[in-house]
Amino acid sequence: MRTILFRHRAAGYVIAVLGIAVVAATLKALGHHINTTTVALGLLLTVLFVATRWGSAAGLFASALAMLCFNYFFLPPFGTLFIASPDNWIALAAFLITAVTAGQLSASAKRRAEEAEAGRLEIERLYAELRDAFERASHAEALKQSEKLKSALLDAVTHDLRTPLTSIKASITTLLEAARATNDQEQITLDPESKVEMMEIIDEECDRLNHFIDSLLELARIEAGELQLRRRWGNVDEIVSSALVRAGVITRNHQLELAIEKELPVLRVDARAVSEVVYTLIENAAKYSPLGSAILISAKREGDGVIEMSVENEGEPVPIHLRERVFDKFFRATRDADIKSSNSSGSGMGLAIAKGIVEAHSGRIWIEGRNGGGTRVVFVLPIGDEDGERTVNDDEERPVGA
Amino acid sequence: MSENERILVVDDEPQLTRVLRTALKSHGYEVRTAADGLSAFETFNDWKPGLVITDLAMPTMDGLELCRRLRASSEVPIIVLSAKGEEKTKIAALDLGADDFVTKPFGMDELLARVRASLRRASKQSATETPPKILEAGDFRIDMETRLVTVRDQEVHLTPKEFDLLTYFMSHAGKVLTHRTLLAAIWGGNYVDQNEYLRVFVGNLRKKLEADPANPQYILTEPWIGYRFNP
Repeated sequence: MRTILFRHRAAGYVIAVLGIAVVAATLKALGHHINTTTVALGLLLTVLFVATRWGSAAGLFASALAMLCFNYFFLPPFGTLFIASPDNWIALAAFLITAVTAGQLSASAKRRAEEAEAGRLEIERLYAELRDAFERASHAEALKQSEKLKSALLDAVTHDLRTPLTSIKASITTLLEAARATNDQEQITLDPESKVEMMEIIDEECDRLNHFIDSLLELARIEAGELQLRRRWGNVDEIVSSALVRAGVITRNHQLELAIEKELPVLRVDARAVSEVVYTLIENAAKYSPLGSAILISAKREGDGVIEMSVENEGEPVPIHLRERVFDKFFRATRDADIKSSNSSGSGMGLAIAKGIVEAHSGRIWIEGRNGGGTRVVFVLPIGDEDGERTVNDDEERPVGA
Repeated sequence: MSENERILVVDDEPQLTRVLRTALKSHGYEVRTAADGLSAFETFNDWKPGLVITDLAMPTMDGLELCRRLRASSEVPIIVLSAKGEEKTKIAALDLGADDFVTKPFGMDELLARVRASLRRASKQSATETPPKILEAGDFRIDMETRLVTVRDQEVHLTPKEFDLLTYFMSHAGKVLTHRTLLAAIWGGNYVDQNEYLRVFVGNLRKKLEADPANPQYILTEPWIGYRFNP
């Protein structure tokens, strides 16, 4: 670094000598056509150049050299450092003062410009450092949030696994106690009906665990973008009636109303998956509405090539600020939003899966309020065409009519 | 077993309330169920059960609030159903006056044992409204007037604080007592965070009372929660 600086300075002195020599020689060669003012200005320019480029020391050196050249070659008597006329003394002094002052001024202007540039670079560097630090902090915060989310999801999953296990364990231990009880140890009197009820509970809770695990897998497939749609031509009536058959037990204490528009076009969808969506919506509608109230399932054509289906209940409306969140996985209305349910709370996966299925069909699902109270969950699906996603077994012709 | 003892079961899981209702009925208890704290509180006021078994996480009114409201008007024994990961809530429930807890998933035999112990304690307490002169339970006998303590018919000398702690344990035998509850009862409200006081005094009591202090049979540790006295 020091060697470079030394070389830079030495170059300034060399250029000063060369520059002054070239300018002086050129002016001298022009001879009597040039007056002393022109000579002084020519040399002054050289001094300014050196001072600006190589700083004040080189500038001072160039000023002294220019003054000597001016005196030696251009002020009579020529070829000596002696000056005969007092006018020329004044000219020489004026030249020296001007050269030194102008040289120092231009050098200092250059220095200031350099300092300003260095300041700018420093600010840029600090800004970049600050930005990096901020990015690192945001990254750390995002990681923390992601860890928190993971832990919340784990809590939700363990709760959903443990709840059916609790019922199973309590039932089994009661049955075991009854089976082991001897006649003289009549602590427990479990009648056959109670035994059957316990076994039914075990059966139902095993199904619930199995359903929960299936849902987890399906959600994982949706999130990984690996949901395999088996698209075929199917009609809305079949989709809805298959969902209704499944929901028979859940909806036995509700009044079901159907409003399916006549002559709806057939849809090119994965009927089983869409029926799952309808089932989930009916299940939720029943769960979050009073026993005996009505559930309305409707389907109609909505614009060109789109079918709209909806399920409405007469329960508590979902608050506006939760209408997006209810589609988040593991969001549970009873636990996270204090919404009353007439049944056990769900797994918090039903609507997340429904949304995944609808979106995989390029459709959209949302929740809206209902006139006179209650909630309406709506989804729209494009009818689809032959260019839609095909599967291996997809070789059926489009049927005529619905 | 107490004939026709009434038990109120509170849980938002209908399957679990079904199991508990059937299992408890088969042991001769009268059972009613509620799906949330609010309806449980209403049922409690109408029906006056002898014991309440409640879940902690419930809609409308959770188990903690239910414990608080029940304790404001009643000394009914409360057993809390909790899951791993709910330790803080469980301790809060015990501090609010819950008597015992069972961790999910549990065997019915375990819950029934807790139910019987809580009911026994409650019936003893209601039978002796005035403070007794003699406290007797299991291997322990304390004469409150002469401050004479005997364990397995052997006289034991205790410091005043040890005596207070033992009598508190005796009058709450079988019940889970949180660190806070014990500290507040023996040392006063300003000492509820001084767990080390408790550790030292429980250690001393064990040395004087237990046959093998390293493997205590009377003063049992409930990890992270407190102690349970098993006379």
